[in-house]
Amino acid sequence: MALFAASVGFGLVTASVLAIAAIGFTLQFGVTDVLNLAYGAIMIAGAFVAYVVNQAGLSVWVGLLAAIAACSLGSVLVNAGVYAPFQRRGTSAITMVIVSLGMTLIIEFGVEAVAGGTSVSYTMGQGRTFHVAGLILTTVQLVIIAVSLAVMAGVHTLLRYTKLGKAMRATAANKMLARNCGIRTGRVITVTWALTGALSGLAGVVFAMDSGSFNPTSTDIFLVLILAAVFLGGPGQAYGAMLGAAVIGIATEVSAAFIAPDYKYVVAFVALLVMLGLRPTGLLGTPA
Amino acid sequence: MSSYYLINLLIYAAVDGMACLGLSQQFGVGGVTNFGFIIFQAAGGYTAAILAMPPDSANGGFQSYIGGWNLPFPVPWIGAAVVGGLIALPFTFLVGRRLRGDFAAVGLLVTAVLLNLLATNFVPAFNGDAGLSLIPQPLQGEFIPQSSGYQWGFTAVALLLCAGVYVFLRRITESPYGRSLRAMRDNDAVADSLGKNVLSLRTGMLVLGGAIAGLSGGVLVSYITTWSPAAWGYAETVVLFAAVIIGGTGNHRGALLGAVLVPVGFEEVTRFIPTSNNLPPNLIPSLEWVAIGLLILVFLWFRPQGVLPERKRVIALPAEHSPTVAIGERPAAAVSAGQARPVVLEAVSLVRDFGGVRAVDGVSLAVRQGTLTGLIGPNGAGKSTLLAILAGTLPASSGTVVYRGQDITAMPAFRRARLGLVRTFQLASEFKRLTVMENLLSAVPANRGDSLRGAIAGKRYWKADEAAAIARAQAVLARFGLESLANDYAGDLSGGQRRLVEIMRALMAEPGMLLLDEPMAGVHPHLARLIGNELVALCREGMTILMVEHELAIMDEFCDPVAVMADGRLLAEGTMAELRRRSEVVEAYLAG
Repeated sequence: MALFAASVGFGLVTASVLAIAAIGFTLQFGVTDVLNLAYGAIMIAGAFVAYVVNQAGLSVWVGLLAAIAACSLGSVLVNAGVYAPFQRRGTSAITMVIVSLGMTLIIEFGVEAVAGGTSVSYTMGQGRTFHVAGLILTTVQLVIIAVSLAVMAGVHTLLRYTKLGKAMRATAANKMLARNCGIRTGRVITVTWALTGALSGLAGVVFAMDSGSFNPTSTDIFLVLILAAVFLGGPGQAYGAMLGAAVIGIATEVSAAFIAPDYKYVVAFVALLVMLGLRPTGLLGTPA
Repeated sequence: MSSYYLINLLIYAAVDGMACLGLSQQFGVGGVTNFGFIIFQAAGGYTAAILAMPPDSANGGFQSYIGGWNLPFPVPWIGAAVVGGLIALPFTFLVGRRLRGDFAAVGLLVTAVLLNLLATNFVPAFNGDAGLSLIPQPLQGEFIPQSSGYQWGFTAVALLLCAGVYVFLRRITESPYGRSLRAMRDNDAVADSLGKNVLSLRTGMLVLGGAIAGLSGGVLVSYITTWSPAAWGYAETVVLFAAVIIGGTGNHRGALLGAVLVPVGFEEVTRFIPTSNNLPPNLIPSLEWVAIGLLILVFLWFRPQGVLPERKRVIALPAEHSPTVAIGERPAAAVSAGQARPVVLEAVSLVRDFGGVRAVDGVSLAVRQGTLTGLIGPNGAGKSTLLAILAGTLPASSGTVVYRGQDITAMPAFRRARLGLVRTFQLASEFKRLTVMENLLSAVPANRGDSLRGAIAGKRYWKADEAAAIARAQAVLARFGLESLANDYAGDLSGGQRRLVEIMRALMAEPGMLLLDEPMAGVHPHLARLIGNELVALCREGMTILMVEHELAIMDEFCDPVAVMADGRLLAEGTMAELRRRSEVVEAYLAG
């Protein structure tokens, strides 16, 4: 029972990190129509930005802010310099995925060229240990969970109550129609890149904090979890991504405790393939 | 340059060449984007290893693996190809028509990442991270593998295998089956509507490409005598994609060139970069990956067709041809005018829901033999949806479709097309990278060369069918006055000409009945009249046509009877003259 509680605790943290990343990914895809496989590479680039700040003697929380800013700007630039020009040309969806894989190599191994291939860690304290309802969590883990809840609440508020959020939903539903209704879809898309880029930076740093040590290729596998969470809930569905992240995050950690740690990703993988095969629009999407 | 260096180079070129050819066939010809390609190569390598190795208790049992059958050459290589092909089968559920191509590609990519992780962690079968070593080389009992004669022999065999794969794939690609693959690559929904079994075509590509990848893995492992999961990361697939894109998508010679330029070339060029102690150890390999990413972007932007673009297949038209070739399925069964004509297609209470919207709401309709039936209605009336249900492009939520007395409600589109019920699309749907002639030929049913087996059997097997199809295509082209464009790419034609190609292509499918979705939309009035007259003539010859249109003038001129739809329901049916007298019809149009 203690093992179960501990694994649920880990699962909550993993789910929190995953939720931040998956919400960003799914909003990005929904609004911009780019299935951006370089998302994981941008996350790890953010984690290294925070590492550089951290190494300079500043708190990793300052680094977190720097990572958010860098990834936000970086995502806007990658879109403006690469994805948007390809899209304007009418490039097919499948070629866009190949383009994003090319971007993945450039960013991921660009980071490796600068940072080297070895694993690094932040210099930070884990804080006190708390026992909450049978779960054992550190201060940092609690902060990660709180940040994730804040992101979910923020995204909910954005989509539900703000003009920008409504414009994003309209653009995601039908870009042409949204434009004809007077929504400046170009600007909405740029803002979406900035926003989701910021989320990827945030996700990258909390991912790095949660894993303890990380290297430039650490997010290769994590991207699988993100994709699983996104497809479980339905690509483009923000609430679906929250649900997917909760399911995948807790399922992987609980299965790690009870099957074998090496195979914890199998659950996510099977979930992803089953969803792709049976219901590619996800649990919260409408069936085709 | 030592001969060892040259041998190494040639063997890697042969192995990468084979892999790129397999990928070129899958991706360049068949349009199947297999981001998990490397798994198939890895599986082939592993199979070749365990077939050739002694049981894992040998050598003090320092490594563990399945099997260890100690089988003689060439069994390990054959096994590698077979297993590479077989493991493709579980993935076929990802490449059916239901799933978007980019989502399927993501599924395959994720599979590659995960299987690599599992192989790295699962010690009993794969010996974990360390992988396998001391893999026997082919015939190492009979010869001395270190001798230069053996090494050159190995090189020659590897190069011959690569050449063999090239010849084999060329044979497939240049056959009617290859043309169907390219048609599917350009537009899978349209290929489906013309009677191509998209799932079976894609399965064929996954298995064939997988077998070739497996073989290349087997050859590589036999040469380097080791197999380790670390060497088969997902990014290796991206390297092969880069090679195929740079060499020329859809051109097998381009794939070979790409293999030499990218995987082999990169490995060699970096050898000549002076190593310095000041540089971090990972710098050069990392920059190599960055360069491959950049190359992909640069080529996709500046030269998407690659160094050696796909060849245009020019088909010489015979100078003389008999103008009496029948176009429709079978000559007119002398249909007499009047109401006694038999019903060809019948829809009974068809319903189609999209979420909360009921696009088609209980439509019953009978189309009679030899009529050119019009289907009109305001935008959003459900005309195109009805047509899609009749053709099988969309499933009906409820109701039945009966074609020539047979219930076809549950039948997929390609089977309906094979029965003779063929549709066209509202949006331009030509196969862009096929010539006009190839577009027409692609629709011909029952060509002996239009199957993997027929393609392998070779040109002699399908030559006669092809010649007959070309003659028929030429007759159709002549009828519509488009002979001069026969060898132009369909993607380069004007909008009106593309509509004509689409109608001609539908006729080549030997239809018993045509379902046309606004065949004259956006077409010059002169051309629209030509199309209309031809359709009327076809119906006189016995063809049955149901045509969606919202130009009343066209209905007036060509269609009888005409059915009116509004808000998903069938409002009325009759001649245009009758319909004009009915107030609800006029209202629906004016209000809509």
